[in-house]
Amino acid sequence: MDKLASIGQLEWLRNKILAQSGDRKTIVHVCMTGCRAYGAASIREAIEEEVKNQGLAKEVEVRSTGCHGMCAKAPVIAIEPMGVQYQEVNPEDAIDIVGLTLKKNQLIDRLAFEDPAAHQPIFYLNQIPFYKKQEKRVLARCGRIDPTQIEHYLSAGGYQALAKALANLSPDDVIEEVTSAGLRGRGGAGFPTGVKWKFTRAVAGRPKYIVCNADEGDPGAFMDRAVLEGDPHAVLEGMLIGAYAIGAEQGFIYVREEYPIAIEHLTIALEQTRELGLLGENILGTGFNFDISMKKGAGAFVCGEETALMASIEGRRGMPRARPPFPAQAGIDQKPTNINNVETWANIALIINNGADWYGQLGTDGSRGTKIFSLAGKVNNTGLVEVPIGTTIKEVVFDIGGGIPMGRPFKAVQMGGPSGGCVPKEYLNMPIDYDTLQRIGAIMGSGGMVVMDENNCMVEIARFFLSFTQSESCGKCAPCRLGTTQLLEILTRLTQGSGRLEDLETIKELGNTITEASLCGLGQTCAKPALSTLTYFKREYEDHILEHRCAGATCDTMVISACQHACPAGIDVPNYVAAIAEGKYEQCVEIIRERNPFPAVCGRICIHPCEYKCRRGELDAPVAIRGLKRFASEWYFQNIGSQRDPFPVTKKEKVAVVGAGPAGLTCAYFLAKKGYQSTVFEAQPYGGGMLGIAVPEFRLPRQVIEDEIAYIKNCGVEIFYNSPVDANHTVNDLLKEGYNAVFIAPGAQTSMRTGIMGEDENPEGLYYGLPFLTDVRTGKAIQLKGKVIVIGGGNVALDAARTALRVGAADVQIFYRRTREEMPAWEKDIEEALEEGIVLNLHWTPRQIINTGGKITGMEFVGSQTAYDDEGRARVGVDESRVQTVDADAVIISIGQAPDATFLSKDSQIERSLWGSLEVDQNTLATNIPGIFSGGDFITGPSTVIQAIASGRRAAIAIDKYLQGDIGRIEITDEKSEMPSAAGLALEDEEAKDQPRIKLELEKPEDRIRDFREVEKGYEKFEEAHREARRCLRCDLEKERS
Amino acid sequence: MQPPEIDLTKLDAIIERHKSEKWGLIPLLQDVQDTFGYVPPETIEPIAASLNLFPSQVQGVITFYAGFTLTPKGKYVLKVCRGTACHVKGSRSLIRLMQKELNLNEGETSSDYQFTFETVACLGACFLAPAMLVNQTYFGKLAPNKVSSILDQYKKSRGAKDK
Repeated sequence: MDKLASIGQLEWLRNKILAQSGDRKTIVHVCMTGCRAYGAASIREAIEEEVKNQGLAKEVEVRSTGCHGMCAKAPVIAIEPMGVQYQEVNPEDAIDIVGLTLKKNQLIDRLAFEDPAAHQPIFYLNQIPFYKKQEKRVLARCGRIDPTQIEHYLSAGGYQALAKALANLSPDDVIEEVTSAGLRGRGGAGFPTGVKWKFTRAVAGRPKYIVCNADEGDPGAFMDRAVLEGDPHAVLEGMLIGAYAIGAEQGFIYVREEYPIAIEHLTIALEQTRELGLLGENILGTGFNFDISMKKGAGAFVCGEETALMASIEGRRGMPRARPPFPAQAGIDQKPTNINNVETWANIALIINNGADWYGQLGTDGSRGTKIFSLAGKVNNTGLVEVPIGTTIKEVVFDIGGGIPMGRPFKAVQMGGPSGGCVPKEYLNMPIDYDTLQRIGAIMGSGGMVVMDENNCMVEIARFFLSFTQSESCGKCAPCRLGTTQLLEILTRLTQGSGRLEDLETIKELGNTITEASLCGLGQTCAKPALSTLTYFKREYEDHILEHRCAGATCDTMVISACQHACPAGIDVPNYVAAIAEGKYEQCVEIIRERNPFPAVCGRICIHPCEYKCRRGELDAPVAIRGLKRFASEWYFQNIGSQRDPFPVTKKEKVAVVGAGPAGLTCAYFLAKKGYQSTVFEAQPYGGGMLGIAVPEFRLPRQVIEDEIAYIKNCGVEIFYNSPVDANHTVNDLLKEGYNAVFIAPGAQTSMRTGIMGEDENPEGLYYGLPFLTDVRTGKAIQLKGKVIVIGGGNVALDAARTALRVGAADVQIFYRRTREEMPAWEKDIEEALEEGIVLNLHWTPRQIINTGGKITGMEFVGSQTAYDDEGRARVGVDESRVQTVDADAVIISIGQAPDATFLSKDSQIERSLWGSLEVDQNTLATNIPGIFSGGDFITGPSTVIQAIASGRRAAIAIDKYLQGDIGRIEITDEKSEMPSAAGLALEDEEAKDQPRIKLELEKPEDRIRDFREVEKGYEKFEEAHREARRCLRCDLEKERS
Repeated sequence: MQPPEIDLTKLDAIIERHKSEKWGLIPLLQDVQDTFGYVPPETIEPIAASLNLFPSQVQGVITFYAGFTLTPKGKYVLKVCRGTACHVKGSRSLIRLMQKELNLNEGETSSDYQFTFETVACLGACFLAPAMLVNQTYFGKLAPNKVSSILDQYKKSRGAKDK
């Protein structure tokens, strides 16, 4: 094409291009940038081939474009004007794409986005959730035009802004427009762009330089990459306008060499603009001279800092220098220089074309416009996202990003790369802009958003970022050079289990010093990841140091396999799973009993933290650890039973345990195993604690509890029923009777009250969850009828609701204040309850129980709504506009249980805690009185059975140590079983790698609500259990072998 | 084994291309790195002379930037990404696996100059996490078995044409 000598010639050319491009009716946009790694080139070839073969070459254009944004489903293509997207496309699909969709308008299900809830295909771009909440301004052309053809840019309106600026606006006008638009630097610092331009313009000195900082070095960020690869002219046009406004004649694009496609497309774009005379001398005949050189980075993250970048352009070592002088005053070659980020430049033409007012329609007051984010990490729809500034983190991660894979809970999102902080879930509803995140120690940054879930360790994340900044530190200033090294050393020690409590203070002090004293932004921000994770995840740091526990189960030195580490009791899961695969069921149960004397109970109702961490779950589905445990323990009790010889008594000391619940019985069991005489005092006529009185028969048959308690008794543990410890038989009395230590574990069984109107009247038909379940469990005749309301969302509420159905209620409806995700009840139980016909009403707060003549006849509810404050913290309030009155025959209030220490009224010397329980040392469970320990739900509040068991074992270890004269800390670390198996299971077996998880059948809902039969069926055949066990990847053996 | 032979006469052409470029040291060095696969130490003095710089200045720039290396690399340079997104998706175990399979530590080149194993801070391919680059080819959504088969592919093509 010939050089354009005037604006008029540019518009003439544009008209010609527009006319020529209108020939083809359909365009297939094939992403050829990021998707190239997934074979996009062969897909494009295949589609082109098919278009030719099927005679559509005149109607269809196959166009290579930039990023569409939905990188998670690469390779991606879009068909316009139909507005259809196809994803995960293979070259083989070309036949159907052309033959069915292009020729016959038939849509192909298998290539469409699948709605995760409805499992239906969504074909149209404007209906796909990922795109719906986005506002593509900067990325409007990306994915629609071929970035290697300037004609496409021109026909999409490109270089119109440049023409407008050159023809109608003075340089000051341009600066005025950009300033009033409120554009702030998109590289992360957020300095007002127009203001920076003004400074540079005002300084005398020639030549002036403008620079595009395309050294996107933040790990996890790829926004600039997409813009450079997909719409490079947007950047060039912005730079041209900027050069005009500032009075610069030379520009540089400093692009990191690790972006070869960006370099390729920029090179082509520069050539084409030069060819047309849009770069060079006398641009469009206006006397404006400007040209751009491309400089490639050479692998130094610090060169993203503007003074280091300029040094690198000058061919020197990329070390920052002090500012002032700022680049505007003295930059490259000591001349006035204006540096802006890629995305900032890409916004300029939009502002000039549409005006500052239009620009400010999106965004917040302080931060106008849109921002591009690169969403990555543990999120379903990873990719490129453009949203108005002010969109909340939750909207980006969940509405657009589709939430966390496997439905795992959100833990944190890292924003702003190594200069940014981690934002925990409390701030999920915070709107994203330059200023809000700063208040909580994070930054919006350049746009990288890396999502983390419960399987990530925040201490390890901090160490990870420090290792990056430490290696990228240029070394010039001592605070950064030495500080990053020291911080890294401390964090590394923490992840290796050699941390000390003082380290936490040191991290803060060191971090603050490095921040204050460093020369450049790298040092000034490098401590942010460590400081922000320490602020919001302090417990994780402490656990690493004090308990050698890693919440994410990633820190190698503490974790043998994630499953074992996740188990509060530390059971050697891989070995017992392997035992099942080898048919050694007795050995399996013995391995479990090394840490947990309730294998059968846990096999039914354990919340299985192990399965959430199971690495097999990253491939398809976790190993059914709980189901396997049930299988082996059922076999054990059917074939071996509860008989055994008691543990030999080898020590002279005796220990008393208060409460025959899981915590108490576990403590007694392990003490007996260590050779002590242990005696349990239980107030009720039967044992099991919450297991016996709360968990319904259809989840945990009574017989199972009896078998396990019988086994524990046969181990030599003495249990006295109907023997409460209270004012008549105090803990002190126990000590006087000769017991050398006491473990108090009576559980948390006092029902909480709502305090609403009508409750105090104690009408007929009012029940509380736990007593209701206990009565049913212990055989008291309770008959419900008609409509039953259950208030609450925890396990007891769900169990009460399902029990109500089985004792005569015609209909049961649960009312809960908050959202389904916030319900503490086990998801499995909620699903089973819904299957049984129970109705779940969310966002309703109880207001009044309506009694007529002393009997319940109904209830009034008012709508609840969650409001978010400035920092995105939730407050549940009422929404008076929604009120509901329902009829009811019975109401079961189940809003939680609390511990109650009043039974210890005569043992007043034991220190109380603030919430009605006892004060204990977290590590040894010791109270202030030597020899008296306490644990389980009584100390923690309602928790899980495995937590209680772990607590009981911890107490046994601490009591043993105490009785030997040692009151120091105890250490409970993961250990391999004494009965290991070397079977590699899925590690060695190819078939097992493909075996999906075998589902455990449930009784049919319509059958099971008629009585209290067990809802879940175990494995029907041994082979099923074996196959399931062989799915295990033996993560523990990997460690040993390497 | 001896490092692969290089033709130092190519250096003259490279110097010609860049010596009148303003601030051309880094582009020149990048050209040298691309041509020879590394910056041969014997090229430092001629480069310095041509640009009117001290050899120590040239050495300083070479050693500052990770993109330049003074020792030859292997035929296949494997860069495993250790960026945030890849890290969060488990790049560490992949790095360990590759160390084992290649018998190389980070930054090392195999004695037959076939493989160089490196880790990079971020490839910008986060949606493909965990990702790696073999020369100019991207491999994404890696899993242990995928990594093994990719390595086998390259091991088999030893002596075959460059990708």
